[in-house]
Amino acid sequence: MVKVTYISTTGEKTTVEGKAGDSVMQTAVDHGIDGIVGECGGSMACATCHVFVDEAFLAATGEKSDSEEAMLEGAASDVRPNSRLSCQIRLSDALDGLVVQVAEEQM
Amino acid sequence: MTTTMAGPAPLDETTTIDQLTLDPYPLYRRMRAETPVLRVKSVGRTLLTKAADCKMVKDNPGLFSSDDPNTPMKRAFLAHTLMRKDGQEHMAERMAMMPAFLPKTIVNHWAPMYTRYAEEYVGRLPRGEVVDLFPALAGPIAARILAEIMGVPDASDEEMQRWSQALIDGAGNFGWRPEPFERSDAANAEMDACLERNAERLRAEPDSSALSIMVNSAKPIPWSQMVSNVKIAIGGGINEPRDAALTIIFGLLTNPDQLEEVRRQDAWDKAFEEGVRWCAPIQASSRLVLEDTEIRGCHIPKGDTVMTIQASACHDEDIYDEPHRYIVFREKNPHQAFGSGPHHCAGAHVARRTVGAILMPILFDRFPNMELVDPDIVEWRGFGFRGPINMPVRLA
Repeated sequence: MVKVTYISTTGEKTTVEGKAGDSVMQTAVDHGIDGIVGECGGSMACATCHVFVDEAFLAATGEKSDSEEAMLEGAASDVRPNSRLSCQIRLSDALDGLVVQVAEEQM
Repeated sequence: MTTTMAGPAPLDETTTIDQLTLDPYPLYRRMRAETPVLRVKSVGRTLLTKAADCKMVKDNPGLFSSDDPNTPMKRAFLAHTLMRKDGQEHMAERMAMMPAFLPKTIVNHWAPMYTRYAEEYVGRLPRGEVVDLFPALAGPIAARILAEIMGVPDASDEEMQRWSQALIDGAGNFGWRPEPFERSDAANAEMDACLERNAERLRAEPDSSALSIMVNSAKPIPWSQMVSNVKIAIGGGINEPRDAALTIIFGLLTNPDQLEEVRRQDAWDKAFEEGVRWCAPIQASSRLVLEDTEIRGCHIPKGDTVMTIQASACHDEDIYDEPHRYIVFREKNPHQAFGSGPHHCAGAHVARRTVGAILMPILFDRFPNMELVDPDIVEWRGFGFRGPINMPVRLA
């Protein structure tokens, strides 16, 4: 199991146990985390799973694809250097303890 | 030793397309309960009516392909469009115009214009009279918004709606009759001329429209694909916001207590979501099965075409209490009206922010005492696409 902590827009922290191989978006949806919609199911088609990754884990989450960059550019909340679509981050042992902040607006 | 092998899905030889067009929801309710995987002879497809199955199919394009060559769509559009492609090819064509439809572009470039149009179109409705909101408001404003966002602002509301209907009728012409294709051919010729004219204008003066983003891209997709992209948006981008708007208006006017609460909480976004859940403008989608598989214990052979019924997924009792009722303030509303997977509706953000956030509050603010002439004379139609075909209201 991989521990993930979601910080809501009001600062509330929820830590859940995800499965290696699942995405950070799917893990959030499975645990009912508010603010991560993930309407397209993880196909990079809706830009409703925007998160800000804690700096300590940024390198471990990997590179963004061009498509992800393009979708983030248009996302509802302002994009920051640590912005990611959480459907594009796969959980692994290297990400145990991952902390992400949920973006304010998704739609 | 015996091996068990799943049998074929049950076959329904009685349900007609007319029944599905007139009143599908009771039929879907029964299918969900008794035969959630059902071959329907009149449709020629295997209908999937449970939410989990619809989502599973849409999220697995490797097994359930959009590339179904046996439809009249290619003939109607005179092109193999991104709707019927998978993988990288689909992604490249979709991403070529997607920036025009994302929230940032809408807020920065489109919202003020949409607000102006909504005020203008609502403002010209005659107070005190009975008006059918389908032709008087919902159709024209959906056409106007789409013309602007696609980059063809010189196309009239009438042209946009006529082109859209011609493409829809052609793509749905499974009887391969000549007349619908004659109309779609004529519409294609008009759209081609319009697109060439506007592409030239946008090369000189780029803006945030889909056509501008495509023609001015550093790595442009071929012109033929830009053209088919815009046509897909015209064929599928007018009826949905139009039908969604009318459904929401009907839902709110027949539930005045909820309308009051929506006003009080400024919850137009929720009113919108519940509207598209209640009557999904796109009710069904087809996927071609690439390998033998199994759904809910039924064998689904390679080469079969399954049909996800979003309309039914949005009424699935596993997710919703009283799904047949319009209930704005549901605790959760994870509907599939915009689909799922790589083909998730590209216009979802535009619809939410134009119909939901802009048009509805402007309409209900201008006519606070608007009422339906008679809810029972509102007629609903459609199997693939569905919505009210008339909406007579007394404006006050």
